[in-house]
Amino acid sequence: MTGRVIVITSGKGGVGKTTTSANIGTALAKEGYKVVLIDTDLGLRNLDLLLGLENRIVYTIVDVIEERCKLKQALVKDKKNPNLQLLAAAQTRDKSAVSAEQLKEICDTLKEQNDFVLVDCPAGIEQGFQNAVAGASEAIVVTTPEMSAIRDADRIIGLLGPKEEITSVKLLLNRVRPSLIKTNEMMSVDDVAEILEIPLVGIIPEDTGIITSTNKGDPIVNSEDALAGKAYRNVAQRILGEEVPFLDLDEPKGFVEKIKNVFAKLKAKV
Amino acid sequence: MKKGFVENGFIIDLSNTKNTTQLVFELSSVMEHPEVKGKKVCLKLGNQDLKQSQLLSIKALIESMDAEMAFIDTTSEQTEASAVSLGVIISKLDNDIEVASYTASDCEIQEEAVEVKEETPELINDEEKSVEVHAELDNEIQEPISTLEGIEDTYTEETTQEISEVIPIEHFETEFEMLAVNEGLISNEDISKYIILDTGDVLPEGIEENSVDTKTLPTLYLSQTLRSGQTVNYEGNILIIGDAHPGSEIIADGDITVWGILGGIAHAGAKGNITSKVRALKLNAIQLRIAGLYARRNDTLNVPYVQKTNEFTPEEAQIEDGKIVIYKKLRRD
Repeated sequence: MTGRVIVITSGKGGVGKTTTSANIGTALAKEGYKVVLIDTDLGLRNLDLLLGLENRIVYTIVDVIEERCKLKQALVKDKKNPNLQLLAAAQTRDKSAVSAEQLKEICDTLKEQNDFVLVDCPAGIEQGFQNAVAGASEAIVVTTPEMSAIRDADRIIGLLGPKEEITSVKLLLNRVRPSLIKTNEMMSVDDVAEILEIPLVGIIPEDTGIITSTNKGDPIVNSEDALAGKAYRNVAQRILGEEVPFLDLDEPKGFVEKIKNVFAKLKAKV
Repeated sequence: MKKGFVENGFIIDLSNTKNTTQLVFELSSVMEHPEVKGKKVCLKLGNQDLKQSQLLSIKALIESMDAEMAFIDTTSEQTEASAVSLGVIISKLDNDIEVASYTASDCEIQEEAVEVKEETPELINDEEKSVEVHAELDNEIQEPISTLEGIEDTYTEETTQEISEVIPIEHFETEFEMLAVNEGLISNEDISKYIILDTGDVLPEGIEENSVDTKTLPTLYLSQTLRSGQTVNYEGNILIIGDAHPGSEIIADGDITVWGILGGIAHAGAKGNITSKVRALKLNAIQLRIAGLYARRNDTLNVPYVQKTNEFTPEEAQIEDGKIVIYKKLRRD
């Protein structure tokens, strides 16, 4: 088995790389694929919190690299889905504890035994970024519809371009607010896709449920009715090669408005 | 009051049946269901009077279906006497939540966590050992203490109680824990605070030689807040005046004492000294490690940020008989 190594990156911080990693990983594992999530954000790890696995971490990626434990020992199984495993970052070390070659070696070992290896990249374009992309053959660039995030995403796409190992770079647009797009206060999905000129793999609506799911340590894909959860499940489907239409993100309207719509449609027919 | 959980078990509520014949009929109709095989059955018998022979045949009926009788819940004295003479465990079921109980006519049987008020040690699944704090707190201290009179805070070892081994079952945790919490099945105080992690062969070598009295070791005195990512490592005891936030690590060859909230990882006796202790004004460590024993905080208590508080219950953790035991210091009024 040779799995796919996908790096999830953004350049800018706070756009939702870690949330995206946790959710796509969980969604793929729910589909029955064996998934390993690697947190490469040494010193500022969060992925374990989002998955609610912090209390289970004994060994980290640095322990593996410095040969204090075997790779298998450092993989923490998810609470709900044994298909999903986490290789945590060290909290008490910094980016220099790991080199790009070492991370590539870990990715290469893990892809032999798993369908997917998702690498959660730290913010920035320095050593941490270079490490995270080293073993990857695909990349998902996460951005939000804001000028600064888009500028940084553009920079990242430029840096990924010359890397021969990376055969596919896709865009995930996060924290989209349809109501703001309507009033022209936020850039539309099409605008962003046009600026960045890479194929879209997903559009995730802003969802307050993300906050509670983060606090609970339970990715939002696990809640069936959350719109963001559904959007992430769709992303997983697209990664698997399915053609899934993008969600209609129009916020649910009030009852009166719905009735009005029905009448409007009826009138149009008449 | 202790609460426990029976893995792979379910309740059959027979308390509505009017006589033994009806009871056996209802029971057998449930037991015929193929899913019953290999499960632990808890019977709710209500006020039915059962003779020893009758109870024995009920037990035999359950066993003939490849199931196991876990315990019974009864209000009848005669049934109770029969159960005692047969060695059947009697327990109090606390299933006022509807999902957890199935009436006899309910043929659809699901795996369900059963709440037991009395601990039934036979049912303990040894897969994962864990630590629970037993202490009847606060029940007696109901009257507010007047601050004017000057309070004498006496903490005494005598009122602490040992912690017995508990019951959590991997299976239950993964699938039912959240469900159970949502349904109000577990109240946080009653579940075990720490669960032993299976870390394989992490036990440091040379335990015996290293286990010197920690009092003889030097002590590092630190007066600061330990933040996420900060590590303190010392070849002796560590005393911290302040909080240790989640994400921090304290590693000592001897004891660890935190005069504040301990929220990060604490590893006492890191080189294998099994007499080492971890104590804190509020013991909320994400992981407790003493020598080669690692315990993780229970998921239901797993709050990812430090919870500041004005109410402290000092606790002390140590190894006893290969388990991590937590002592709670109680206030004596």
